[in-house]
Amino acid sequence: MEADNHVLLHDVTVRYGRQIALEALSGEFAAGSLTAVVGANGAGKSTLLAAIAGVVRPSTGMVACPARRRLAYLAQLAAIDQGYPLTLSELIMLGGWREFGAFRSPGAGLGARMATAAETVGLAGRLSHPINEFSVGELQRALFARVILQDAAVILLDEPFAAVDAQTATVLIDQVMRWHQERRTVIAVLHDLDLVRTRFPSALVLACRCLAWGPTAAALPAMAA
Amino acid sequence: MPLPRLGTNGGSVAGDGGVMSAHALLVEPFQSLAFMRSALVACLALALANGAVGTLLVLRRMSLDGEVLGHAVMPGAAVGFLYAGPSPTWLSLGGLASGLAVAALAGAITQERARRDVGLVVFYLLALSLGIVLIAWRGSNVDVMRVLFGTVLAIDHRALLQIASMSSVIVLAIAVLYRPLAVGAFDPAFLRAVSARAPYGAVFSALVVLALVAGFQAFGTLLAVGPLLLPAAAARCWNLGVAPSMALATGFGFIASFAGLLVSYHGNLPTGPAILLAAGLLFGLSLIVAGVLRRLAPIIGRNT
Repeated sequence: MEADNHVLLHDVTVRYGRQIALEALSGEFAAGSLTAVVGANGAGKSTLLAAIAGVVRPSTGMVACPARRRLAYLAQLAAIDQGYPLTLSELIMLGGWREFGAFRSPGAGLGARMATAAETVGLAGRLSHPINEFSVGELQRALFARVILQDAAVILLDEPFAAVDAQTATVLIDQVMRWHQERRTVIAVLHDLDLVRTRFPSALVLACRCLAWGPTAAALPAMAA
Repeated sequence: MPLPRLGTNGGSVAGDGGVMSAHALLVEPFQSLAFMRSALVACLALALANGAVGTLLVLRRMSLDGEVLGHAVMPGAAVGFLYAGPSPTWLSLGGLASGLAVAALAGAITQERARRDVGLVVFYLLALSLGIVLIAWRGSNVDVMRVLFGTVLAIDHRALLQIASMSSVIVLAIAVLYRPLAVGAFDPAFLRAVSARAPYGAVFSALVVLALVAGFQAFGTLLAVGPLLLPAAAARCWNLGVAPSMALATGFGFIASFAGLLVSYHGNLPTGPAILLAAGLLFGLSLIVAGVLRRLAPIIGRNT
């Protein structure tokens, strides 16, 4: 991956109406870094990811993400309609959106890549199944397959392991580590501090503003304070 | 104040002691009466647009928004009425303007999620009241009833052309924007992240307003949302993909229009409500039959 896969935040503040969700956050997610974003509920973790993805606009400050066109954003599972009439193959295929856009047909090679992605997350053989008969864990595997297909330089994951079964969590964590080895920049909102401690080299502790940001061992104690 | 209805053939269903022929029951009303033909063509054109828009509306869980936008058409239509009398063009233009304005306002209050449903209902009530006051100010009670319940049996050539062109625009727009509109209903955050915030949501709201304006001459502002939502809700019971749901909703719209017109003709009943009741019947049947089939599926054994 190129060197400009970093994400730079300069004095980023996000307000919803009068309420401040994120205040004056500055710093850099280095290219190829793997960072866990932790903090209490309402600490602005999801807002931070949405701001980096360009889904919400900062009220003040600036997000610089040179690789925005090669960014994958996986929102919380609650934000998507789990009863939607879509087959697994259609869902994963959306990962090729930047190749085919809103109007063109998916290219010939995409189908094979889609099948490989499904296999990677352990969903081979279920491509024609509608997702509304999937469990939460299976759905999250499918969404990870979509991220794989996006082949992104910067990957944003909002609580990717919440509510999934242990076996699925193992598969998905392995995939995150693979992305990290491939030098992609990964930023994940997480609640499981043990997981952060053992597998994530960097951590950002949020409480609307930045409490600590750096190597996990140094940053995480701010969580208890 | 009676609703618009047919005074013609009521009660003669049994003919001279015998059972009426299928031809006399199903075809003859449309063969002999031009206004029945116009009404049928208008309803079929509307069903084409409504099947597609309604399905997306149901999938986006925006039924309440549809209801509110239906009434948002009212004040603008009233202003059009004050300006030009009961001219379909001015009623539509006015309705379109106020519908789009309220859609934009509703979009703005989406940002503040907390009181969204209260805000929408306030819009709905005020728009409805304002519209009635405006029309009653210069017009008669008949005019008020016309705008509220529509005049599906009094659709002239010009109104028919207008309905057909609006439906065509809607169907074409959805054909072109099908992928982003369908994905936006499923995973809005994903769509916004990959499409650089193209305003698909606003475009969809505009299409809903257009569908409601097209429908409001036939069904009135109170009922225009019915042919939009009921066939789509019935089709959604069957748990099909997005495009098949749209096709099924359109088919249900066709059936309800045909059945409703005939029932209102033979039974001397108000036409718009008869069509809506027919669509409601299809919804009830879909709910029950699809539910029973889903229960039975594990017993019979699924073959995929």
